[in-house]
Amino acid sequence: MNWLTQLNRWLVAAMAIVLMAVLAFLYAKTQHWGQAEYSANVALLRHLKQLDAQWESDVLKSKIGINTHYDPLTNLLTEMNSLLDELDADIQVQRHEEEAVLVRESAQLRQVFQEKSALIERFKSSNSVLRNSLAFLPTAAEDVVQSMEGGSPNLSNKSHLVLGTVNKLLLASVLFSQAASNERRNEIQARLDQLDAEKISLPPGLRERVEVFGTHVQTILREQRGVNELLSRIAGVPTARRIDQLGNVLNAEQQHVAVQSAQYRAYLLAFSALLIALFLYVAARLVHSHTVINRVNRQLSSANEHLEQRVQDRTQELRQAQNELVMTARHAGMAEIATNVLHNVGNVLNSINVSVDVLTSRIRSSKVQGLMRAMGLMKEHQEDLGSFLTTDEKGKVLPSYLSQVADLLLAEQRSAIDELGSLSQSVEHVKMIIATQQAYAGMSSLTEPTQIQTLVEDALHMHAESLTRHHVSVEKTYAQVPELPLDKARILQILVNLIGNAKQAMDGVVDRERRLTLNVGLADDRHLRVRVADNGIGIAPENLTRIFAHGFTTKKDGHGFGLHSAVNAAREMGGTLMAESAGSGAGATFTLILPFPESR
Amino acid sequence: MNIDPISWDVRVVLRLVVGSLLVAVGGPVPAALLDEPIQPIPLTLKQDPARVEIGRLLFHEPRLSSNGRVSCASCHDIAKGGVDGRDRSVGLNGSLTDVNAPTVLNAALNFRQFWNGRTDSLEGQVDHVLLSPVEMGSTWDDVVKKISSDSKYKAAFSVAYKDGVTKANIQNAIATFERTLITPNSRFDKYLRGDERAISAEEKMGYGRFKQYGCVACHQGVNVGGNMFQKFGVMGDYFKKRGNLTQADLGRYLVTKIESDKYVFKVPSLRNVALTAPYFHDASAKTLEEAVDVMFRYQLGRVASKEDKELIIKFLHTLTGELEVRP
Repeated sequence: MNWLTQLNRWLVAAMAIVLMAVLAFLYAKTQHWGQAEYSANVALLRHLKQLDAQWESDVLKSKIGINTHYDPLTNLLTEMNSLLDELDADIQVQRHEEEAVLVRESAQLRQVFQEKSALIERFKSSNSVLRNSLAFLPTAAEDVVQSMEGGSPNLSNKSHLVLGTVNKLLLASVLFSQAASNERRNEIQARLDQLDAEKISLPPGLRERVEVFGTHVQTILREQRGVNELLSRIAGVPTARRIDQLGNVLNAEQQHVAVQSAQYRAYLLAFSALLIALFLYVAARLVHSHTVINRVNRQLSSANEHLEQRVQDRTQELRQAQNELVMTARHAGMAEIATNVLHNVGNVLNSINVSVDVLTSRIRSSKVQGLMRAMGLMKEHQEDLGSFLTTDEKGKVLPSYLSQVADLLLAEQRSAIDELGSLSQSVEHVKMIIATQQAYAGMSSLTEPTQIQTLVEDALHMHAESLTRHHVSVEKTYAQVPELPLDKARILQILVNLIGNAKQAMDGVVDRERRLTLNVGLADDRHLRVRVADNGIGIAPENLTRIFAHGFTTKKDGHGFGLHSAVNAAREMGGTLMAESAGSGAGATFTLILPFPESR
Repeated sequence: MNIDPISWDVRVVLRLVVGSLLVAVGGPVPAALLDEPIQPIPLTLKQDPARVEIGRLLFHEPRLSSNGRVSCASCHDIAKGGVDGRDRSVGLNGSLTDVNAPTVLNAALNFRQFWNGRTDSLEGQVDHVLLSPVEMGSTWDDVVKKISSDSKYKAAFSVAYKDGVTKANIQNAIATFERTLITPNSRFDKYLRGDERAISAEEKMGYGRFKQYGCVACHQGVNVGGNMFQKFGVMGDYFKKRGNLTQADLGRYLVTKIESDKYVFKVPSLRNVALTAPYFHDASAKTLEEAVDVMFRYQLGRVASKEDKELIIKFLHTLTGELEVRP
């Protein structure tokens, strides 16, 4: 059974893992390079294409002089390079299916941009030179004319010839810069050769001007061709086509991914449906379990109620038993007091008996007989009493005899009176013992203002006889305590029990004085404290907690009620009874703490 | 430095509209000269201050070189126009560089770095110089080790960069610092921004000559050059005249190996040109006068009067700007 549940648990765990794995797999499949990334890539490519177009247009603007500096060209290149870097980074980060193709395409794109950039660099160089020469050419021609006008007039023929060539070259160069054709180039080249030939005969100053002019025409011829060629090559660099191609790859991938993604989404949907079904099944099971649990719960709770009833009944019974027990204990306490009283009365009766015996024997052996005999003699000699007393042998001793008898009788009387006094004292004692017992008997929970010392004294008194008999010396320390309404019967019961226990505890003590110490005082300003200490056999530590238990006793003839009822009585009064002992043979101290009653 | 072409156009249109409105009201028009071939330097290129601080330290850090003696600042004294004033700079153990050191000031505005434009970023420039056996002769492994063993650098890098001291971050820090080394607010820029009195009448005439003679064909844009290549000696064979052809004279050809790129160099910026003598990659011109003469002779193929040249030189002096940051 156990391994079955274990197996079940493993199966559920494995199934959960499998389901999670499938879900994660399907999710990952739908999370492939998606629409958002595609849009970002396309936007980037579009931006790149736009910048590229702008680049070309800026090249043309530089060519015709709208752009007066090349910063736009270099700035655009920087911007496009950073876009290319971004694209490369994107391709690396995004998870493309065709990553290798894209990397290759991107590398090719970068390459065509580099190509174009190199061409544009050359264009910039050539264009500056060309534009300078074109701008300068009219001035250079003007310089030639001016220096000719300032020159000597006899060279005018040749000069005119040169001037004509210069002007024609100027016109041809300007036209060439507008539309560079091969014929015009050949024409310019021919005229330049012509100028070279013509300038030889010119004076050095003028020749130099013509040479400058010629150099610039040559420069225009060279750079114009270069610039035109560069422009057509720049336009021919397939940057836009490369961008489109990259876009197409991305597009194809996007479409493929979209189809695949849709497929996996369908799977995911089916899987979700499966999961929901599973969930519903589990929920149904849960609801079912819940019903079962509810039912069982209800049964349990009703059983519980029943149980509670039974517990209540039991408690009631227990309480009753407890009450009975308390009563029993109380009765036992009472009985103890009664036993005590009877014991004391018995003791006193013994003394009475002795007194009566003494009196009886004394009276039996009374000298009254001697008196009676003397009186008989005197009756015999009634007539001659005087002579009898003076002459008769017997008569002569009679007065002294009578005097002796009188003395004896007097002594006898005294002794009898003494004995009777003792007897009456004993009777008085018995009366008092009974009176004391009666004073407490039947007083249940009645409180009356009492000095605690009185109760201690009463308790002592109840034990006085036996304490004396057992040679126990009593030491008493009574502090001043107020008169309080106390439950005399209960307190007396406790004290009688404690003193009795103390006395018994000291029975075995022979090697030292038996001392009972009684101490009355205040524990604090709301509690009375009575201590009963002995130097008897003490209490073993393991018994210290058990001595108050019902039925626990260490005495041969004990019933185990005494201390139990005493502690109960103390509790009933809201007080405590505690025992202390240093161990066997070290004596014991019982402390009774009683609260001042609430109502004064 | 990025001038968005669209907002650029909008600004032009706005200026025209606002300008014509002001004319209509009859007020003065302190219009900026925004369609000039030369553009003012933006007042600031905002950079990450933590990285700039690291870059500043590294720029003056001799431990970048293998012998611990050469720092960037050894050849690019920021206080002296970003150059060392020598014909060829002294690199590792007294060896001389092939060409005259270009200024670091406004280098951020150049479209490529070095005379032959062999790299298009400041970061790349750092790499070239650090590895060059003539200049710093280091290896990146060594430099990264040395810099990361310095707790001060280590702490600063860990604050400014996610991955602490790396080759790329060292390059970036130096480049970032260099991007703060721009010199806006030259008198000429103020003039371009509309302050008519920022330059004198002669200087204005000089600017006129500069445009008229065609200097501006190459020295244009925000950096007055630095945005294109040009053949040195386009209107005459400069090197034949000078003689002693060296490898470095081949210029861009050394990078591209294309025949037509022989003797082609990056057109240098003329910003702060008055501070950066000697001139040209070979330091052949010791003064502006000589440089202007050479330019007229071999680049423009023209003859100019002494007065015009002087005017142009006066104009060139207005291009000296203010360094935004402390060196």
